[in-house]
Amino acid sequence: MATVEEPRTFIRPDGKEKVTGTGRYTADLVLAGELVAKFRYADHTHARITRIDVTKARALPGVLAVVTHEDVPDVLYGGMVKDRRLFARDTVRFEGDVVAAVAATTAAIAEQAVALIEVDYEPLPVVTDFEAALADDSTLVHPAWEEYEGNESLGRHHNTVGYTAIVKGDADAALASADVVVRGRYVTDPVQGVPIEPRAVIAQWQGDKVTVWTSTQVPYAARGGVAHVLQIPESHVRIIVPLLGGGFGAKCDFHFEGHVAALARAARRPVKLVFSRREEFFAVGHRREGMVIEFESGARSDGTLLARKARLVLDKGAYCGEGGFFSEMAAMHALGPYELENVNIQSSLVYSNNQPSSSIRAPTAPQVCWALEQHMDELAAALGMDPIDLRRKTLIETGSVTATGQVLEQIAMKETLEKAVELIGYGQELPEDEAIGVAVGWWPCFAANSGAYVKLNPDGTGTIITGAQENGTGSVMAMPTYVAAELGMQPEDFSMLYQDTDAAPYDMGSCGSQTTFNSGRAVIAAAVDLRDQLLDAAAEQLEASRDDLELVSGSILVKGSPDKSVTIAELAGEGTFHGKGAGEVPFAPEALAEGCVGQSGLESFHAPQLIAHAVRVRVDRDTGVVRVLQVAAAHDCGVILNRMGADGQVYGGVVMGIGQALSERTQLDAEGRHLNAHLTDYKLVTASDAPQIDIAWIETDTLNAGPKGSKGVGEPPCVPTAGAVANAIARVLGARVHQLPMTPERVWKAGQ
Amino acid sequence: MSMQTFTTAATVEEAVAAVAAGARPVAGGTDLVVGARTGKSTMPGSVVAIHRVAELRGVEPLADGGLRLGSLASHAEIAESDDVCARFTALSDASAIVGSHATRAQGTVGGNLMNASPAMETGGPLVCLGATVTLRSPSGTRSVAVEDLWTGPGKTTAAPDELLVGVEVPAPAAGTGSAYVRLEYRRQMEIAVVGATAAVTVVDGVVTAARVAMTALSATIRRVPDAEAALVGSDGGSAAIESAGAAVAAAATPISDVRGSADYRRAMAAVIARRAIKTALSRARGENA
Repeated sequence: MATVEEPRTFIRPDGKEKVTGTGRYTADLVLAGELVAKFRYADHTHARITRIDVTKARALPGVLAVVTHEDVPDVLYGGMVKDRRLFARDTVRFEGDVVAAVAATTAAIAEQAVALIEVDYEPLPVVTDFEAALADDSTLVHPAWEEYEGNESLGRHHNTVGYTAIVKGDADAALASADVVVRGRYVTDPVQGVPIEPRAVIAQWQGDKVTVWTSTQVPYAARGGVAHVLQIPESHVRIIVPLLGGGFGAKCDFHFEGHVAALARAARRPVKLVFSRREEFFAVGHRREGMVIEFESGARSDGTLLARKARLVLDKGAYCGEGGFFSEMAAMHALGPYELENVNIQSSLVYSNNQPSSSIRAPTAPQVCWALEQHMDELAAALGMDPIDLRRKTLIETGSVTATGQVLEQIAMKETLEKAVELIGYGQELPEDEAIGVAVGWWPCFAANSGAYVKLNPDGTGTIITGAQENGTGSVMAMPTYVAAELGMQPEDFSMLYQDTDAAPYDMGSCGSQTTFNSGRAVIAAAVDLRDQLLDAAAEQLEASRDDLELVSGSILVKGSPDKSVTIAELAGEGTFHGKGAGEVPFAPEALAEGCVGQSGLESFHAPQLIAHAVRVRVDRDTGVVRVLQVAAAHDCGVILNRMGADGQVYGGVVMGIGQALSERTQLDAEGRHLNAHLTDYKLVTASDAPQIDIAWIETDTLNAGPKGSKGVGEPPCVPTAGAVANAIARVLGARVHQLPMTPERVWKAGQ
Repeated sequence: MSMQTFTTAATVEEAVAAVAAGARPVAGGTDLVVGARTGKSTMPGSVVAIHRVAELRGVEPLADGGLRLGSLASHAEIAESDDVCARFTALSDASAIVGSHATRAQGTVGGNLMNASPAMETGGPLVCLGATVTLRSPSGTRSVAVEDLWTGPGKTTAAPDELLVGVEVPAPAAGTGSAYVRLEYRRQMEIAVVGATAAVTVVDGVVTAARVAMTALSATIRRVPDAEAALVGSDGGSAAIESAGAAVAAAATPISDVRGSADYRRAMAAVIARRAIKTALSRARGENA
């Protein structure tokens, strides 16, 4: 293990244009003759459609296309369960279901046309209480659920779209023998990704091929989605992502590219969709889910953890999308990074008529971790133990075997705890309205295919062609850094051709903290291939053995003979050099997982990232207003390849975590409609609220790691922040807040 | 948005004439434009931009110790004025926390007052400092006390042809201190969930005058006479502060919405009012607060 040095400063190539306002995002592109798209959304959150009449809308001058389910192939789509149509046909299931779309010459005409579309409904009972939706006699959100094509592992039944059980030992017997048992019920509100760029999509057809410019984190999934819903070959779809103004997971998955492509085809003109802020809140089938979480844990009086039972209910909302794995992911976070002999975790992902949930930065983890880490502090209090000591005794370490049978090799969980506690000054004397809270968490890596090319230009610069996406997470900084290191060049020597599905090989996209893990692996492999070609050429030219050559500062030198050298620019001017690579996809470790159902591959955590956050808060007891003053974040994310980028992820993730802890929530009415779909009352944390954040990286040699021993880093900072804040608040108040976010009103009420 | 005509006034006369002809005045646009963009309101058919009218600018101390604010005085200008900070401190408190940096640079005191939001920041301080506004129409000019300006959310007593051209704040009596306190969930881009203003005069240890106003707790910002009565004649000690705070909570008619429940707002009314009164008293006594 080692700590990580500060890196040299490398200003990211897209930084200046983003900061100065010259950057071009999707909404900034203008195509000749482009039309404006507007959607007609559902008028009810659950209703049968009895009639759709677009006659008046079509007749309105300036309207060039009105599209409904009748104008596209009748296919269902969805990442893990195909349960949704592009345009609602028989039923609308949430506020943002699209019934029809209009393309018109101006926004005003398109809005007018949308209002002229006549839709008749027969309202159905609305399912907003997702816990009640578990009952066998509940109204079904999808009465035809059995007919849907879906991932076999999900264990679908009625409104339950995903079910996971993790069972080990005999939790009930162990609880009966425990000296101390604590129980808790925790409820979380839905949360949004809130990218500052509301999404935009432009589609243009040339013959039977379509190009779609779109603000997506996952262009290859978007390509697949368009091809599927329009029933055209994937090779007829090209997805280009101009600058992306953030996503935080909300721009993962296939969303509106199909609607706009269908409109553009019908209108025979390019069509542009630009979401309002309100639409970015309510219409996107992609937010962080609400949950009900119940824990029961038992321990011996010395702090030995004997058993944990948990029951989790997650609100999937109206459609599955790519988020079907959430029941298993949440169950793994209910285990948390603890050694447990007796476990019984039951986790259900349930359909409702609420907005669909899907991956938002570390899906399911912040909520479950917030509940579990409070629960662990409550257990410590019942035992009369310091919560840090209880964690010292119960956390996983190298050699631990998880409840799902995974043997953990080379992890630094306990070391991150010690480092976070040291950085925050745990145990120091504080004013009576301040306290420190600590929480720990974990997060897996996601191994996937990726590929890349690196070519040299005649002037000695290079171009990286990669499927890596720039979601603000720094791939434009990381990829040139990795390639330059292999070739003895500078990151500034490289440009990137990226975010274009026709240019680069497949990549999963900016999701799952995977860009360095997979795209980075591919890019490095391509750079190594290119280096081999350069060394071969230089060996011939310099009449030297390849083994005697080294790449330094843009030249290839013969070791020990400084006068014998050739520059990369000279070689590049004479030949054609292009490397390609994919790298070997590392395997996830095995998990035995007997007694577990609902396995979608997360029962072992591949190259787990271990996280400990310690926070110091000030609580105004009279008002319930909480200020986070300081955060110490210690992470085991393997070998850090790009310190500046990694630190940036922690700063952003911690601030996002504070928002989730204290103020961010979507409020819904009794029928599941958004009440605060705007930035005035959906309270993001501002720069003025950001605390001091101290970061420590603890590097470990990880089994089956990413390139050069790296792991992911983008999502973990979101995981334990809310839990740490909760534990700090409880220390000041002497009472617990069992609802997330812990708004001033809730904190005030808990302290009464 | 369905704006049909947009004119820019160069003089007060032009601005007043345009308003009399039915145009909505716009200066910073922080309510009008933002409201229209978010769908909260529609853009008026006719708009007159008054931001270039030089006579409407300025934050000026008056010879008699009072203060004149042009209707175009921005929140940032007011917040940066040493004179406002020293003698009209509640207004300084309020102007410094309106919206965000951008809102404070763009937004004006005239717009804030005429938007008539019960949650506006500058209203409570101007009421408690006894300010009047000057309304001008083609037929003349009149003064209206700020506390008589509003009749409900978004509604004022100004006639449709009147333009707010300035705000006058009288010289505070010796021994006066004032404060505005807001319950806020975050430090920037915030809207008052509950707000309270106090302006008190302390002579020889006795409170001789007091004004207390509540913000975001009723249909308009308004004074709370019972709270004022609890303070006047008292020593400004904790018992008086406590009962004044309770009077504010009793007078409040809060609503439940996405920002908080009525119960919470009522409880916070007392807390925030006590804090405003306490700070105003400290300032009146010359303590550093």
